[in-house]
Amino acid sequence: MIRIENLHKRFGEVRAVDGVTFTAPDGAVTGLLGPNGAGKTTTLRMLYTLMRPDEGRIVVDDVDAVVDPQGARLRLGVLPDQSGLYPRLTAREHIEYFGELQGITGADLRSRTEHLLKMLDMTAIADRRVAGFSHGERTKTALARAIVHNPKNVLLDEPTNGLDVMSTRAVREIIRRLKNEGQTVLFSSHVMQEVSALCDTIIVIAHGKIVASGSPDDLRRQTGQENLEDAFVALSGLAADHSADAEGMPS
Amino acid sequence: MKSSPFTQAMVVFRKELKDWSRDRRSIITVLISSLLAPGIIGVMFTQLASRQRQVEDVTVPVVGAANAPALIDWLKQQPGVEIVEGPADAEEAVRTRREDVVVVIPKEFAKDFAASRPAPIRLVADGSSQNTRPKVQRVRGLFQAYSSQIGSLRLLARGVSPAVASALTIEDVEVSSAQQRAAMLLGFIPLFVMIAAFTGAMGIATDSTAGERERGSIEALLVNPAPRSALASGKWIAGTATSMFSVLITGALLYALFQYVPLQDLGIRFRLGPAQLGGFLATVLPLCPLIVAIQMYVATFAKSFKEAQSYLSFLMMAQMIPGMMATMNSMATKVWMYYVPWIGQQTLLTDVLGNKPINPLVFVVVGLVNIILAVIVIRATAGLLHRERIIFGR
Repeated sequence: MIRIENLHKRFGEVRAVDGVTFTAPDGAVTGLLGPNGAGKTTTLRMLYTLMRPDEGRIVVDDVDAVVDPQGARLRLGVLPDQSGLYPRLTAREHIEYFGELQGITGADLRSRTEHLLKMLDMTAIADRRVAGFSHGERTKTALARAIVHNPKNVLLDEPTNGLDVMSTRAVREIIRRLKNEGQTVLFSSHVMQEVSALCDTIIVIAHGKIVASGSPDDLRRQTGQENLEDAFVALSGLAADHSADAEGMPS
Repeated sequence: MKSSPFTQAMVVFRKELKDWSRDRRSIITVLISSLLAPGIIGVMFTQLASRQRQVEDVTVPVVGAANAPALIDWLKQQPGVEIVEGPADAEEAVRTRREDVVVVIPKEFAKDFAASRPAPIRLVADGSSQNTRPKVQRVRGLFQAYSSQIGSLRLLARGVSPAVASALTIEDVEVSSAQQRAAMLLGFIPLFVMIAAFTGAMGIATDSTAGERERGSIEALLVNPAPRSALASGKWIAGTATSMFSVLITGALLYALFQYVPLQDLGIRFRLGPAQLGGFLATVLPLCPLIVAIQMYVATFAKSFKEAQSYLSFLMMAQMIPGMMATMNSMATKVWMYYVPWIGQQTLLTDVLGNKPINPLVFVVVGLVNIILAVIVIRATAGLLHRERIIFGR
């Protein structure tokens, strides 16, 4: 479970995150939805402890992430905004490297790695160096190394960004599976379809503030819009410059 | 499931070494920089020695050889000496540089020699010519040797000890150009070795800092529940290993080289035996951790390999300054010099190679100073990894 209370972060004059409060419960998928620059990534960065909030509280399970960042990181599996790989290592070596950093070794590490490779349909490319990987293969590798330690809470920053249909499906499959195993899944996206297909709760964020939250049905009701995309546009106050962000929201 | 920071550092260490061992470019860099010192020194020494040998194998044109058959026989018996018939006009031949030196034995020679009077020998040479001077010296030396040998025999024949006739014994200390150049080359050894240590470290020091930033892998790495100090230490130890590897190759090659380089031909009393090699490694290896730590600290500020490399090339020049100064004008060695990194290695290495006796404690203290400084710098690097500007700044 992840709880965020009154989170603030500013960069100079810009209030990137301005009083965000929400809870992501266990066994559920929570989606952070918002246009580019709304504050999704900054919120997640504070959550995965690489950025210090100016104000506010973050609790992961029962650990205060601001006071004990390392304790919080033990309970997190993260696919960050930047998920670069090491070109000279193979997919398997990436997963094992992160597993070992988490303290997993020997037969346990091998079986977990094998399991993840199968689940993500990567067995054929497991022992190839990632230098020649496609975008989808890279994302899958990054995802696998992020959850090798079977974390209770999984944070994914735009996990399907730029993926083809097959890879997107694989990622969605993983998210559903994690949810069914009772994990807390929190992911961000600017793609309406994605969020509505997967999420139990959607948190719409714009200009660093939460403008709405609830189930997809709740959101439709709140805005009086039948179409979720119209609801999103109405909520994020984007109606005026709708066309500028349109490419991010396939109909 | 949580592992200790030490275990985590070892995990990072193994990963960085594996990653590095697959990077052909950085391995080639290490090999080339390790070959630099032994290569240059080997080629130069062999060249200098062969030039020296040319002087020793001397062809002496003699005019009037018939006037002194005994002398000519003696000359022919000397190693490396060949006697040929001299040109008719000796002075003209030397002036026009057809000959470097010509010996003229006048007719009076036989008469004076037989009467035990100083017998005249004329050495025709061009004193303004730098190149021929060693050869002229060599020829003059031959005649002087003959002169004193015959002189001694004459004294003995008269029942006088030849020692009476020599008030002085003169020991030659050669500082001719070949020797000077050889000595200067030996002075460059510390400099080359520092370059090897530095380039050996660069691969991992840049790849594991600026490289992580450029690839965007730093966020994912830092999200692991490992303290920054453990991550930085693992990278540091890996970099130190490659830097030491580079120094070891250089040391081994220099050692092998000096078993073959004909230093004695150059009249240099320099030896790189097991003791010197040991002192050499004990001096340079403790510097490696500090070099890596400083490189990592600097490279962490860089957003890309290229940026990191340009910072590090400045650093490389900076580290060469003490060595340069030491080779150009030999400063008097002061005690504090041993304890300042780089200057200390330079001084200590000069002592080691110059075969000066050194208190082993000096090695220990110098090594400790370096390692303590390295730990301080690595802690500072780990501190940098907490900065948002470093983690996210691109």
